[in-house]
Amino acid sequence: MNRALPTSQHTIGPFFPRTYFGPTDHDLRRRTATATPSPRGEAIRIAGRVTRAGGEVCVNALLEAWQADAGGHFDHPADPDAAAADPDFLGWGRAATDAEGRYHFLTLLPGGYVEGNHRRAPHVNLQIMASGLMRPVLTTLFFPGFSAENAADPVLAMVPEGRRGLLLAQAEGDSEGLRCFRFDIRLRGDPAEETPFFVE
Amino acid sequence: MRIDSVPPWPEGIEPQVPTEGYAGTFTHTPAVPPIRRPPGRTELTAPRDLAAKLPCGDDNLAVLGHGRMALGQYIHIAGRILDEDARPIAHAVVELWQANAAGRYFHPIDTRDAPLDPDFIGNGRIRTDAEGRFGFFTIRPGAYPVPSKNNWWRPPHVHFSVLGPASLSRLVTQMYFPGDPMNAYDHILNSVPDAAARERLIARQLPPHEVGLGWLGFVHDIVLRGRAATPEQP
Repeated sequence: MNRALPTSQHTIGPFFPRTYFGPTDHDLRRRTATATPSPRGEAIRIAGRVTRAGGEVCVNALLEAWQADAGGHFDHPADPDAAAADPDFLGWGRAATDAEGRYHFLTLLPGGYVEGNHRRAPHVNLQIMASGLMRPVLTTLFFPGFSAENAADPVLAMVPEGRRGLLLAQAEGDSEGLRCFRFDIRLRGDPAEETPFFVE
Repeated sequence: MRIDSVPPWPEGIEPQVPTEGYAGTFTHTPAVPPIRRPPGRTELTAPRDLAAKLPCGDDNLAVLGHGRMALGQYIHIAGRILDEDARPIAHAVVELWQANAAGRYFHPIDTRDAPLDPDFIGNGRIRTDAEGRFGFFTIRPGAYPVPSKNNWWRPPHVHFSVLGPASLSRLVTQMYFPGDPMNAYDHILNSVPDAAARERLIARQLPPHEVGLGWLGFVHDIVLRGRAATPEQP
């Protein structure tokens, strides 16, 4: 078997093209730009700000989100129950931060699922790429209102107890009929406030 | 292709962070070390057909439209997207973006005092074929100074963003040009500790007689993290 060494990562830089973005790239419910959003689940809005040291905002940072569908399935052969996956739900989206460091996604509230001996709580994986970040950072967003599921989640359990709350999105009312969740990402700051990140 | 395992990054390949000479890394790199977790289902999966979401096929940056040729030296960059077992990754989405021949990006954030080329936008997106191959026609980008206190200039480079078969295979990197004296001074390229890993970020130039008329040819393979446990049957 040949081996190949992975190519080094670099920063995405300040100039990731705006021309790359279609109007619905931030909508995880759509498989294509023109597809109807999957209706199978509760549509929600996730929004927040990306900041760096000193609370300064990050402009034109790229965020990519990936999650299971409302039933907790992935349309992927790695999911033993992939046949049950929502055929209209993509589960992936990307967004760039604006001049105030803000981003937002539209999606369906993900379902939890069983993996090995564990039960995963509903979650969304986020990769954040930005100028000044030589390697992307990975984090996982969890939802309020699932205290039993969150308490049993093996990934959340790896986070020191005092920092777990930083991975919990906050319910922030409704907008245009959708429940809104706020999730701010602090790349660097006071360790008590910095977003917990993961590496695999 | 299905990725079943993702070994940790081998020593010396990941850039050193924060990065000497690159002030932004001192304000953006998390201060708390990341938590190591075993890759699970969310990390080993990714959308199977991202090309439907991100329209592909834009492989010619040098010709904007009918007769609208960009200024600069015409080049072709070809390569393959591979996994850690050197297997080609079919249907990966490959994005390439770069500065124009004067070293300026077509981006509202780039306000440097250098000319924009009305015939050069400088970004393309394609999907690899069944053998993992990609190719872009473009121009050789110019170098440009980074606003900083240390007179840092980026050498000519192109940015690559690759979306592969697992979310852990996601890669953002940059490609450099062989023989450019500025490569030795670049804080980003030289943040990679291993000399061989740095060398792998530099494209190989083909002898002109091997390339079609009108273009200089460069070859650049990109390896994504991850391995498929079960080799696929031919």
